[in-house]
Amino acid sequence: MAYSKLDDKNVTAFIPGTIVDVKVKPGQEVKQGEVLVILDAMKMHNRVIAPSAGKVKEVNVKPGDRVSKGYLLVSIE
Amino acid sequence: MPLKNKIEELKKRKEEVLQGGGEQAVAKQVAMGKLTARERIIALLDEDSFNEYDMFVEHDARDFGMDGKVLHGDGVIIGTGTIYGAPVAVFAQDFTVAGGSLGSMHARKITKIMDYALRMRIPLIGINDSGGARIQEGVNSLAGYGEIFWRNTLSSGIIPQISVILGPCAGGAVYSPALTDFVFVVDKISKMFITGPEVIKSVLGEEISQEDLGGARVHAQITGNAHFYSESEYECFEQIKKLITYIPWNNTRKARKFEPKEPKVNYNIEDIVPGDPKEPYDVRDVIRAIADDSDFFEIQEKWAANIVIGFGRLNGETVGFVANQPLVMAGVLDVDSSDKAARFVRYCDAFNIPLVTLVDLPGYLPGIDQEHAGVIRHGAKLLYAYSEATVPKMTVILRKAYGGGYIAMSSRHLRADFVFAWPSAEIAVMGPEGAANIIFRKEISEAPDPEAMRRQKVEEYKEKFANPYVAAAKGYIDTVIEPSETRKLLLHALEVSSTKVADRPWRKHGIPPF
Repeated sequence: MAYSKLDDKNVTAFIPGTIVDVKVKPGQEVKQGEVLVILDAMKMHNRVIAPSAGKVKEVNVKPGDRVSKGYLLVSIE
Repeated sequence: MPLKNKIEELKKRKEEVLQGGGEQAVAKQVAMGKLTARERIIALLDEDSFNEYDMFVEHDARDFGMDGKVLHGDGVIIGTGTIYGAPVAVFAQDFTVAGGSLGSMHARKITKIMDYALRMRIPLIGINDSGGARIQEGVNSLAGYGEIFWRNTLSSGIIPQISVILGPCAGGAVYSPALTDFVFVVDKISKMFITGPEVIKSVLGEEISQEDLGGARVHAQITGNAHFYSESEYECFEQIKKLITYIPWNNTRKARKFEPKEPKVNYNIEDIVPGDPKEPYDVRDVIRAIADDSDFFEIQEKWAANIVIGFGRLNGETVGFVANQPLVMAGVLDVDSSDKAARFVRYCDAFNIPLVTLVDLPGYLPGIDQEHAGVIRHGAKLLYAYSEATVPKMTVILRKAYGGGYIAMSSRHLRADFVFAWPSAEIAVMGPEGAANIIFRKEISEAPDPEAMRRQKVEEYKEKFANPYVAAAKGYIDTVIEPSETRKLLLHALEVSSTKVADRPWRKHGIPPF
């Protein structure tokens, strides 16, 4: 989608950090608000949640990965 | 003619105005999923409390064939009524009459009720549903908007001003809501933008729907223009009625006091904040564990959710809660969260609502986009708002309070009246990792095993500084408390500060960084 702030399918890192845990697999159904990934940044294990319900299309990270801001973590379809 | 007949004539005239724009126009309004202006007023106010004024006002436009046209009430309904017994002034634009367009008499009715609200020192609620300026009336309609904006500004901080967007609100019309205290939007019904999709397409070649450009969700989540979002008009009116219970009629009064109620037992305050400072939690549970009846009325819930603002009660008295939200973006301060909290602090200060600030944040969000978006200027708003506020200010440091974030979140240095810290508090100039890397740079780089030395120094720093006792030793916090004592101490602080005096040197007004 052209307007990134309205995008509720592609979940990106809000800040650079390290992936601590990945909670979902491709093909899995997720509910809105479900935790997808744990991102260690800003002195916190941040819970990256699903902005909308759907099926996980792609998981782009694994534990230990360092990601930059805006990096696509998980996409939902 | 006998009086009876004259009464009959009055009834007939009223009956005619009550038709609004007529059957067809009303049917169109209903088809759009909207209530009519009159239905809205009835739904919002106490039963039979509405008194309408200027029902028989007619427009005075002569050009473009307007002189022959009858526009009932000139497309807007004004009057006074009550909400849970509290008096309010109301205007509601009637989209069924000439699309609720704003001509000079329409504007004059709105400004009349605004003047009335200000003179009587009662809240003003404006229901916006209008196609915009009435083009046939030319510059007179622009003058009308200007007169409304001027009154919005004059009334700001004196009477509560509430805007309800229940239809289109485009072009100049958007600035009246923007000048008011609280904006309510409803999914699929509210539309707000300066220039609509058609203009954007013709000038920039960009295509976007009204909904994606300025729909309710956009303003509730992305722009922050809206304070309250709901799925239906009736839900929206319930939100407005609830808001009215938390705020005073005007800036010389206190909000109505309610019967004190203990928080609900299912919020156990000791179980909410995890011991591991890296684990997030929902800070709203801490608020609910403190507030009367565990009732928290959140404002701007979806926008800048890394800070939480809203009203609750302590011992029956309204307080404004401001709290970092570790659940969202680690609770950092950034451009939007600073802006959101700063405006709320100023609102509470203007309307005699004491502030309770709950602190748990890693600091300001670093990043090029934040710096370039003006985080210095926006972050300063929060410092300004807290420093300026003279209402009782109580601060509770739950966990992290680092760097500039510690200062900004209603610290002692900005004249918080009471600063309490939980034993889990970490009050320091920066986090142990960052601080150890700077202070012990030499030791770390010269050590045979720099990584082991680094970890050792981080631990040393954590041990020595990541606690509330260094700040307590300086008196920057008043006392370290057990979480279970929080409510008791806040109630006491509220009682002690009810006669607070905070003099400031005279000035016309300050120059806040906005």
